[in-house]
Amino acid sequence: MRELHYESPTTVHEAVRALGRGDARALAGGTDLIVQLREGRRSAACVVDLKRIPELTAITQDADGSFRIGGAASFTQIAAHSKLATAYPGIAESGRLVGSHQIQNRAGLGGNICNAAPSADAVPIVICLSASAEIAGAHGRRTVAVEDLFAGPGQTRLAADEVLTSIRVPPVRPRSAGRYLRFTPRREMDIAVAGSGTWFCLGADGTIADARIVLASVAPVPLRAKAAEQSLIGKAPTPNVFTEAGRLAAREARPISDTRGSTEYRRELVAVLTKRALEACAHDLRIRMDGP
Amino acid sequence: MKSIVRCEINGEEHEVLADGRDTLLELLRERARLTGTKEGCSNGNCGSCTVLLEGAPVNACLVLAMEADGAQITTIEGVAANGALDAVQNAMIEHGGTQCGFCTPGIVLSAKALLARSSRPDTDEIRAAIAGNLCRCTGYDKIVAAVQAAAQAMEKGP
Amino acid sequence: MNAPEPKTDLKVVGKRLPRIDAGERVTGRAVYPADFKRPGMVWGRVKRSTQAHARILRIDTSRAASLKGVLAIVTAADFPEVPMGSSIPFGETGQDLWVISLINMAREKVLWIGQPVAAVAAADPHVAAQAIDLIEVEYDPLPAVMDIEAALAPGAPILHGHLITKGVEPAPRTASNVGARTLIARGDVEAALATAAATAEQQVVVDTAHQGYLEPQAVVAEADPTGFVTVWASTQGAFQTELMVAGLVGLPLSKIKVIPLEIGGGFGGKILTHPEPIAVRLAQKCGRPVKIVMSREEVMIGTGPAAAARIAVRVGADRDGRLTAIDGRYHIDTGGIPGTATTLLMQASAAPYQCDNLRLEGFDVVTNKPRTEAYRGPGGIQAVFAVEQAIDALAQKLDLDPLELRRRNAAVTGSRMPIGTPFPSIGLTTILDRVGAHPCWTDPIGSGRFPRGRGLALGYWRGTSMTSACHITIAGDGRPMVTMGSVDLSGTRTTMAQVAAEQFGLSIDDVHVVMGDTKSAAFSDAAAGSRVGRTMTAAVVEASRDALEQLKARAAEKLQCGAGDVTYSAGVFGTQNAGGASIALADLMKATLTEGAIVGRGVSTKLPLGVEVGAHVCDVEVDTDTGQVTVLRYTAFQDVGKALNPTAVEGQIAGSVAQGLGWALTEGFDYDSQGRLRNASLLDYRMPTALDLPPIECVIIETPVPNVPYGVRGVGEVPIVPPAATVANAIARAVGVRIGHMPMTPERVLRAIKGEAFGKV
Repeated sequence: MRELHYESPTTVHEAVRALGRGDARALAGGTDLIVQLREGRRSAACVVDLKRIPELTAITQDADGSFRIGGAASFTQIAAHSKLATAYPGIAESGRLVGSHQIQNRAGLGGNICNAAPSADAVPIVICLSASAEIAGAHGRRTVAVEDLFAGPGQTRLAADEVLTSIRVPPVRPRSAGRYLRFTPRREMDIAVAGSGTWFCLGADGTIADARIVLASVAPVPLRAKAAEQSLIGKAPTPNVFTEAGRLAAREARPISDTRGSTEYRRELVAVLTKRALEACAHDLRIRMDGP
Repeated sequence: MKSIVRCEINGEEHEVLADGRDTLLELLRERARLTGTKEGCSNGNCGSCTVLLEGAPVNACLVLAMEADGAQITTIEGVAANGALDAVQNAMIEHGGTQCGFCTPGIVLSAKALLARSSRPDTDEIRAAIAGNLCRCTGYDKIVAAVQAAAQAMEKGP
Repeated sequence: MNAPEPKTDLKVVGKRLPRIDAGERVTGRAVYPADFKRPGMVWGRVKRSTQAHARILRIDTSRAASLKGVLAIVTAADFPEVPMGSSIPFGETGQDLWVISLINMAREKVLWIGQPVAAVAAADPHVAAQAIDLIEVEYDPLPAVMDIEAALAPGAPILHGHLITKGVEPAPRTASNVGARTLIARGDVEAALATAAATAEQQVVVDTAHQGYLEPQAVVAEADPTGFVTVWASTQGAFQTELMVAGLVGLPLSKIKVIPLEIGGGFGGKILTHPEPIAVRLAQKCGRPVKIVMSREEVMIGTGPAAAARIAVRVGADRDGRLTAIDGRYHIDTGGIPGTATTLLMQASAAPYQCDNLRLEGFDVVTNKPRTEAYRGPGGIQAVFAVEQAIDALAQKLDLDPLELRRRNAAVTGSRMPIGTPFPSIGLTTILDRVGAHPCWTDPIGSGRFPRGRGLALGYWRGTSMTSACHITIAGDGRPMVTMGSVDLSGTRTTMAQVAAEQFGLSIDDVHVVMGDTKSAAFSDAAAGSRVGRTMTAAVVEASRDALEQLKARAAEKLQCGAGDVTYSAGVFGTQNAGGASIALADLMKATLTEGAIVGRGVSTKLPLGVEVGAHVCDVEVDTDTGQVTVLRYTAFQDVGKALNPTAVEGQIAGSVAQGLGWALTEGFDYDSQGRLRNASLLDYRMPTALDLPPIECVIIETPVPNVPYGVRGVGEVPIVPPAATVANAIARAVGVRIGHMPMTPERVLRAIKGEAFGKV
């Protein structure tokens, strides 16, 4: 491994400058980056530690009810934020899926996004919730929908000198729920073979007015299953409707075969996980699922 | 790049010269000469290197030594107070929770962190708390029994 | 848990005592080789083959040698060539040194990705890593053979040009990829199968798995100015390590000492040397102590995993459910070098049953994977995965309770083992009775969201005895000090302290037990084959008696009586005479300090076998949408002869079951067609976490082995044998399909359930 320089800025401005010097990577939890650097899968001459920047580790709620999750806040912090966990149990839960306690005490949503693994477990739910990323760079700040951040496996659309300072999650919409389920052979520690994040909200007539389905591990980037989403609009939230959405999502998925699972198995899982995630959302909304 | 890292390990100040590539695990084992923390896999998948960083269990192999500057760290060597074993350590001995011993330091620290936040964990909570610590010898039952016993002993008080 | 009441008034043996070395473990004070340092110590690193099968054309170390800070480099040229047929002592069979020499370093040809080809030593580990990259190896690639089918296919690339299959008459004229054929047969299986009232077949494929010890191999080696070498090792057998190192490096045994430190798990994978001979050679060349610590990736690709297998079994029974035939073909993947024996695993699959007609045929097949090494009960779990499913299927065909089918056919004391010898003592029927009466069998399985099923499977492991030796000296305060020649792999420091305390009538706190090194202890074979607990017990008993005889002679002088009149009980020597004097052990030692050492010696060789037998029951729930199998309940019944320490015995059983469940459900190596291991990390080589296992209840049965101190049997191997079959049988009962591929991953289970419809959403 190449020699490594370590910077520990206390402001976003300093962090951007350090990254701007080139051949540098931002360090949040380090649970992906440190392994990648040691195994030669990523290379850097310098790591810029974001954790001493107060803005990066804060979790706040704005007056309009939206939440701002600092880019370096850990999953443990996220789960412990009671207002956030109550408003968006799907976010707290998806964080608890990412590895063990030891990992969750370091890793966080910002790193999960920036590492940009197709299997990132905390990403689908925040895309479902229409979260946006606040990004700071040499040219100033910009806001990008999280959904639009992913360029390919391991690649985001952040410039080399940019820092993901926070993720903004809009205020909770009435009569809505969002959940993420994934499948792993073991109960913990595994990378998702497939994952499905679902969100919907009900209209006044009790049918589904809006919906999102975002899949993990079945495409180069987190994948919106738009046909499956469309199939829910205007429908009553019933098991049959959810089953159909799951099937459509499975057909939209573009999985590969690798050591964790085959193409066919991932399709099977997408159908099941999507249906079960939708049912979990219905459960959150106290909708009974005992009919067809 | 080499740089001085100053941190508090088990209540003692340490000042070591670390390489930018070093992990906290390497700092502990090679620089601070505290070999109780073990290296099982070096990529955060076994928990043998679990230490408490500001009281929270982390994999020391996934923390850069440089990140530990100014930090408070507890390793297995810091658990017994003046040679007196704590409740988790005693229970692990009593209940057969340790065989080859390689996972034991990490398990003890994960268990301590659990009991610091939950005084009456049920077996599911205990298993969840140690799910990031692989053990190949015990099958986990006696570890779970030990942690439960430690919780009870701690409740009873000294 | 469930150890029965002791029938004799043993005071220390049989008690649940804590490990005497647990204190070091819970405080982090236990020293494993990676923790150990010597003044001036430098770091060794190994360069490993990147080709699965290739000729080595050239190794150029010049660029590495000129890197500043490189202190020594070794290649195969630094080790004397070991001819085929060389062996070192190891129990009844010996160990093939030629095999070990190729595991140590490739010569002329590489046979698996990960096989060592060179090594370096440097003071800075980063320099060592750089030097490794600067060593140039030119390969002439050959086609890789990555599984048994490919190795057996007509026209398959031949790995060893000299390999003529042994055990075939007449001997084949041309080389193949089969090392040996072994046959165990009696009666006429074809006739029996033809006339059977019911038959069942089961074919299985088993993926390579790893023992998964948490401590990667590590070693420190040092050569002193006179050329005497000291090796601090993590090993299952210090004496075998010494013989291997001495044989590979070319050292007389008087010029080497191996000091066993703590070992972080072995399970069979740390019997053969891995980095030790290289570390010694580097130390000799650079004149500095050398430490090598393998990375986890090196462990996954560069040590000896457990065998992949393809096994096909047919069984037959008459109308009354009596087994009339067991016919099995066992192909065992031995990795890049032949020589994995198949006899014990074949015996394991048939031994629990009385069956007149047997035909068990085993082959070891070479492939371009790391050379297979031992795992607990090597080959047993694979063999039983096939046979116990076939037997379970037979029970279904006969509409017979699976427990009843086992009862009707259970081997008993005196019935014939597969190799023909009568069982000297086997408590299988007792085990089966206990199963039938236990809530795990009688409780309703209950219902959940998904289908549930209950499975039963038997396990058998013969184990071995080999040699264990110890000596006992007495400290100045009268306390016995035991030096064991074997390594403490399973808690034997504690159990042997219990035995010595029992023999001396003292408390366990009065006994001190240490692992000796190869120059301070008597030769003992490696901890393997479930043998140390029982055989070291015999050695400790003999050594205790020897020491006490010597002490009695001294006491006789002090008590002014004949040696034959001296009595001993609980630390006090007395005389037969009424009103006689007495002297405490402590006082006797104080009074005779200048009379030389008391050294009690004990050795056990070829102790009568106590076979290991078990029966396991589990309940599973199968998620029929994802294929995920949840083990709800698991109970392991095992005959241990005598539980020296029930806590330790349960720990061995539960840990071994956990390993079996891991291989049953989630553990398996995934090689690509070029021989690269896709899951060479603990992320994707999935060992069970605390959330993946149910509580494992252990029920201890004690049928003592006759003519063996305390009647002890081996414990640690048989528990790994049944779990895959137990779970497979439960899955079959839950969802009506049998899974023939181990590990039974969720994907494989779902494929089996959905059949043609799999993947069609």
